[in-house]
Formats: sequence, C-alpha cells, structure tokens
Amino acid sequence: MFRIGFIVNPVAGMGGAVGLKGTDGLFDEAVSRGAVPRAPSRAEEAARLLAGLPIHFLACSGPMGEESLARAGIDDYEVVYNVHKERTGATDTIAACRIFAESGVDLVLFCGGDGTARDIYSVLGDSIPILGIPAGVKMYSSVFAITPEAAATILEEGLETGREMHIRDAEVVDVDEESYRRGELATRLFGIARSPYRPGLVQMTKEVYEDPDEERAKRNIALFLREVIEGTPDILYILGPGMTTAAIARELGIPKTILGFDAVKAGELVASDLEERGICTLLADNPRARLVVSIIGAQGAILGRGTQQVTPRVVRALGKENIIVVATPHKISQTPHLFIDTGDAELDREFGDSIQVVTGYMIARRVRMERSLPG
Amino acid sequence: MKTKILLDEDQMPRQWYNIQPDLPSPLDPPRHPGTGKPLVPDDLRHIFPMELIRQEMDDRRFIDIPQEVQDILLLWRPTPLIRAHRLEKHLGTPAHIYYKYEGVSPPGSHKPNTAVPQAYYNMKEGIERISTETGAGQWGSALAFATQLFGLACTIYMVRSSYAQKPYRKSMMHVWGAECIPSPSTKTKAGQSVLEKDPETTGSLGIAISEAVEDAATHSDTNYSLGSVLNHVCLHQTVVGQECKEQLASLDEYPDVVIGCVGGGSNFAGFSFPFARDKLKGTRKDLDFIAVEPAACPTLTKGLYTYDYGDVAGLTPLLKMFTLGHDFVPPAIHAGGLRYHGASPIVSRLVHDGVMRAISYHQSEVFDAAQTFARTEGFIVAPETSHAVKAAIDVALECKRKGEKKTIVFNCSGHGDFDMSAYDAYYTRQLADYEYPDQLIREALSQIPRVPGA
Repeated sequence: MFRIGFIVNPVAGMGGAVGLKGTDGLFDEAVSRGAVPRAPSRAEEAARLLAGLPIHFLACSGPMGEESLARAGIDDYEVVYNVHKERTGATDTIAACRIFAESGVDLVLFCGGDGTARDIYSVLGDSIPILGIPAGVKMYSSVFAITPEAAATILEEGLETGREMHIRDAEVVDVDEESYRRGELATRLFGIARSPYRPGLVQMTKEVYEDPDEERAKRNIALFLREVIEGTPDILYILGPGMTTAAIARELGIPKTILGFDAVKAGELVASDLEERGICTLLADNPRARLVVSIIGAQGAILGRGTQQVTPRVVRALGKENIIVVATPHKISQTPHLFIDTGDAELDREFGDSIQVVTGYMIARRVRMERSLPG
Repeated sequence: MKTKILLDEDQMPRQWYNIQPDLPSPLDPPRHPGTGKPLVPDDLRHIFPMELIRQEMDDRRFIDIPQEVQDILLLWRPTPLIRAHRLEKHLGTPAHIYYKYEGVSPPGSHKPNTAVPQAYYNMKEGIERISTETGAGQWGSALAFATQLFGLACTIYMVRSSYAQKPYRKSMMHVWGAECIPSPSTKTKAGQSVLEKDPETTGSLGIAISEAVEDAATHSDTNYSLGSVLNHVCLHQTVVGQECKEQLASLDEYPDVVIGCVGGGSNFAGFSFPFARDKLKGTRKDLDFIAVEPAACPTLTKGLYTYDYGDVAGLTPLLKMFTLGHDFVPPAIHAGGLRYHGASPIVSRLVHDGVMRAISYHQSEVFDAAQTFARTEGFIVAPETSHAVKAAIDVALECKRKGEKKTIVFNCSGHGDFDMSAYDAYYTRQLADYEYPDQLIREALSQIPRVPGA
C-alpha cells in the first residue's frame, strides 16, 4: 500500500483572485475583497481521480485535507493532525509535515502555492518526494503538476506500472511577495526537492533523447565537465546553484553549496557561497575564468532567477563566451523557453536568440531563448 | 526544359573512377592498430577479399566493373538526374538546381552501388558469410540485398537507437535473408565491454563496426564489409558522379556547386570525385564542393585531422582522417547514417587541402528544408539526405540575393520512406538541436591515439 501524506492549504490562491498577487499577510484583505477558498476544491478534483487506487492517506483535519478526501469519495484515510483554530497557517503545514515524516509516508501530496511548497520543503527537504496540486497565486516552483488532473495522472501512472516512480529534482522557489506586488519578480532559489514526474512525452519519441534518465544525464554532464575542468588547470571555474552543478562538484570530489556559487581551480575548492563582491575579487585575480550555470526553476531562467549574485557587472567581467550552461535533457524538455534576465536588457540582448547547453557527455544542444520574460 | 535527364542502360559507366592517382600527393598510409606501422595487404586478409584490398591502395585511374556486377546495377542504374524546377520557383532563385536521385535502387539509397561489388568479390574468394554494421539501416539493407543475390549469409549489427527508431529497415533485411542484431550486443567482446560500461547506451556506428570486425576476425568463413569511409567504397560510388556528369553534359551544363551529405563520406565521394578530377587538373578551379554534416557530429568542420581508429574498440587500422575521437558516441539524431566520428581519408584530405569545404546544420533546420523539398519536388528524403537539400537551398537563396545564375547539383542519396518517425518527431517539435561543444571537448580530449612516427 502506497502511503501519501495529504495536505491542503485552504487559504492558498485566495489573494490572486482578488488581484493581490499572493495571500501572505493579506488574508483579511482578501476576504474583505470577497475571496473564497479555492484550494479545497482543487484538491478534491485531484483526489477524485485517485479514488480506488491502492493508496492510504494520512491527512489533516477539516479544510486542510479531510474534507476534500471525503467529498472525493475516498475512505482509506486517517487524520493524523488536527486543526484547532479557524485560520490555518504555516505553523500548521510545518507541524503536519513533521508528523508525515515521522510516520514514514512515501510521498507528500499538497495543494497550495509557492509559499506552501516552501513550508513543506523546510521540514522535508529532499528526504520525501513532494508533489503539488496547483492552487496558489504564484507557482514558480517545479514541484507543481500543471493541473489537478495532471497531478493525479502522475501518481496513477506511477502506481499502475508497479515500478518505482520516476523522481526528478525540482526547485522550490521563494518569491518575495512584497516586490512581486510592485511588479518585480524577485525569486530566490529556496531549495531543491524531489518530485515525481511523467518521463518523456510520448513513448515513440523517447529515443530522441540521449539520456532520458535525469540521474544518468547529470552524471554524464558531470563527467564531461570534470574532464574539461581538469584539462584546463589555469582556468577558475565558478559553479552556480542547482543539482547538476552539484553533481559536477561531486565528480570533482569537492564540497558544494547547493544554492550558492562556489569556485574551483585545478581541482581544488577556492571559495564557497560567493556573493557578488567575492566573485568580482576572484575575477580580478584570475584573468581566465568561467561560470557554470544550470537552468533555474520551471520558467527556464539561465541567469537572473536564484542567481542574483551574478550581476551585470559580473557577466561583463566574465564575458558571455565564458558562461557554460548545463542542463539535463529532461530539464530542457520541461522548460522550452529559456531566457536570461541579468537586469540589464542590453547585456541580455548580447546573448542572442539561442544558446548552447551542455546536455551530456561531450554533447550539447542549441536552445532558443525568449526575448521577453514568461510569467 | 527537361525535368528528368535519363541515360540509356548502355550509358551506365563500365569503369569506376579512382581519384588516388589524381591527388597532388599520395595519401598517408593506413597504419596497423597494434604497431602503428604502415599496413601491408596481408594485414587485411583476414577480413577483406584481396581484390578489395588492392582497390584500397590502387594506382589505376579507371578500374573495370565486373560484368556480373554491372548486370545487377542495371536493375536500377543509370539513376535519374532531376531538375528541381518547382523548388527553384518556390525559392525564386535564378540558380539551376539538379539532384541525382539514388532512391530508386531496391534498398532505396546509393548504398547498393558498393554492396553489390563487395558481395561479389567476397563470393569469388569463397567467403560464405559477411558481417557488417549499419546506422540508420540503409547500408544493412543494401548489403542484405546484395549478399542474397550471390548466395552469401549476412550478419548485420544495427546501432541500437536506429534499431528502435527504424523497425522497417530491420524488416527489409529479414526479407533479404539477413540476420539483424541490435548493437551493442552480447555476441561480441566489443559489445559486451560497452554494455558493461553503459548498459543503456544508444550505440553508435563506431561500436557496431567493432562488433562486425570482431565477428569477421574470429570466423574463418566470414569477412567484414564496410559501407563507407574506405577508399574502395568511395571508388564504387563513383558511378553516381560519372553518370551525373554525362547527364549534365547532355544539357550543356556544368556545375558551379557540388553538394552531398557526409557521414563516412562515400555518397559525397562517389558523387563529387568525378567532378573533383577537373578541379585537381586545373580545368575547373572555381568549382565549389560542399560536404554537409550534422552539427551533432561535425567531423569535418570541428574534428582534428589526424590518425585515429575507425571503430570504438580500436580494432581497425589507423586512418589519417578528420575525427572527433574514436570513442565519441554522437547523440541519437535521426540522420543515423551520419553518426560517425571519422570520415573518408580521401574526403578528409581534400577538405584539409582546401579543394572541398564542409559545413554543418542542426537537426530541425534540415527537416525544414526536407519539408520544403517534399512540398515542391514531392520526394520525402531520408534525414541524411535532407542535409544536402538544406545546403542546396541555402546556396540557391544566396544566388537569389546576389543575382547569380549558378548551377547547383546535389546527391539525393536516399528516400525517407522508413524515416517517418523522424518526420513525426519534427512535427511534434521533439527534435533536439544537438551540437558538438568543440572547445570544451578539445580541452577534455585525450583519447586520440598518438602514432609513433606519424
């Protein structure tokens, strides 16, 4: 029996419907503008499709999950966390996730937005896979299925095949709602969770990809970059955030901050978790330097999201020809629109309308870039 | 204005044209994989018949095509040369575009031009079985066709990614009585060693060649046959260029630009060498030869000109050629026949010396061109051939911009009837534009063997 921790953030998405771009700290305002909860019904939509599957749900009481399951006709569930107050919040999400972790669930299925994902990730990290039913205002994290139906389909197919579910790395992105409301999208990479996905698009064309398996693809990229880095001991390499660059560091046998920028030269770690100033100092000391970055988030940012350390000044000092982009084929297939947003539109334009992305061992692809930002 | 330029059967070439005596200096000799010393004919006897070994290092300018081989070639030869009126009109170009259509052969490509003589010479020397490799399946099906005509058995190691992508090529080989095995396989040591390292590899021509060579070397009744790269293969393909030259002459035309796609290089070689002879003699100094290759496997445009093995395991002789490194496994593009790390030593030499030039294209842009071709000329070409189509269109468009009335000819090497899954992938936007990160690879590369004294 597959055990799923099920959690609904009933207030998620309420702000969006009334033009508030997020509900953090604005619940009362949202309600006064006439917002009604929508997450429970979204959760119910997904749950309805899961009825009859061999799943045992561990749920939260009332609007945090129990109601959605019951309305969907699911009876194989137990309530493991009781909500005692009228208005639920992050503390409830966090407390429930602690119980899920202790009970040893196979996966946490949640309904909410980026804020909910962030709260769940803060407890579970990458220990338990998580999958989001989208209901929030902003969903820049990659843990979300496109629709409630899609979330159910991913689980259904994963369970039906009787094999292990395909799991990928998925960024959890933290969006500053204050600046988001001002029309600025300031995202920060909060962490990298593990999330189930549907591999390939159609079976027939799966062979097109050199390596559809994410883990293998990451290893192949890492092996290649290790050879490049070891073959050029005079060049300083700055490795950006993400799991693909982390795999390169692992291949080199050096520690890596998952979310930060770390510098390596001649196989040795030079500096960790660099800020802009630290990067500039290193660039001043090292006439030959390269930056290795991956695609961040579900939107396809190469620079500009979760990589604020790389300012236009840093990019100019490096030279765009010294930026190596790495990404797994799966990642590219999930993010068809790549873009660069350094904050300097003129500099962004210098990158042209396509970019080379290393996707495997001695393999790259030319990928189109968008002029305007999605989302 | 004629559309199809046809030759009578008695106008089919009776001799192959050997370019070797016309090269400004002799080719660098192939070298022994173990000792690095120049090969002697005996080194190859365990896998090739003597006549092919002789042709490999021949100094005769013209070599007679055996009557038995001619009789079979006449089943589809001479092939038509077609003026692409509708494509020209669509592009609005003043250029004349001609394509030599090799898709009319029973296996649907230029490959039987060499499969038939190779099977013939093996039969003459008492060989009972031939082993070979195939990428997209064009070569495998051509050799299956040829071997059964001479009563030989045939074992074909088919690159795994193509084996899955092109199931009907495999069916054709079965119809012609051949055994088709996905490569890497567990039948050979070379295959086993690749599978141990990477059980999910897409396979490559280089790996499949290792398997086929090992199969031949370990069975006394079995010889090996290669569908491209080697000099004798390029030689056999020269019937294409010779016919084309005569067809154009019948219209008082002579090309300004000669185009072909390059994997191992034999279709381009066979098409271009009879014209290259004129350039080497100095009578057509401005003749432009364009070898077109995939950006995913850009041997001539990004490779090194050096000695390298022809296969992954290092069983073949070392050849002086452009190479991406014998252990390079190109991404699984649909133009499977162009997924080869090396290239014909003669084509390599001519590109290196500036007699010919090479360009590369991404996967999706060649399918754009193939679609344009199919919607004007009607023929749905193989993904390999679409590279040549793309180059022809680009040259024609350049003529339009400059107002030049050039004559462009390209080798339309095969039909794409068994490649419809590739077209499907194109229409569902599933084609990845693979490319070769050459700068990074140069920095990482240390696998190309150093040959003492070379």
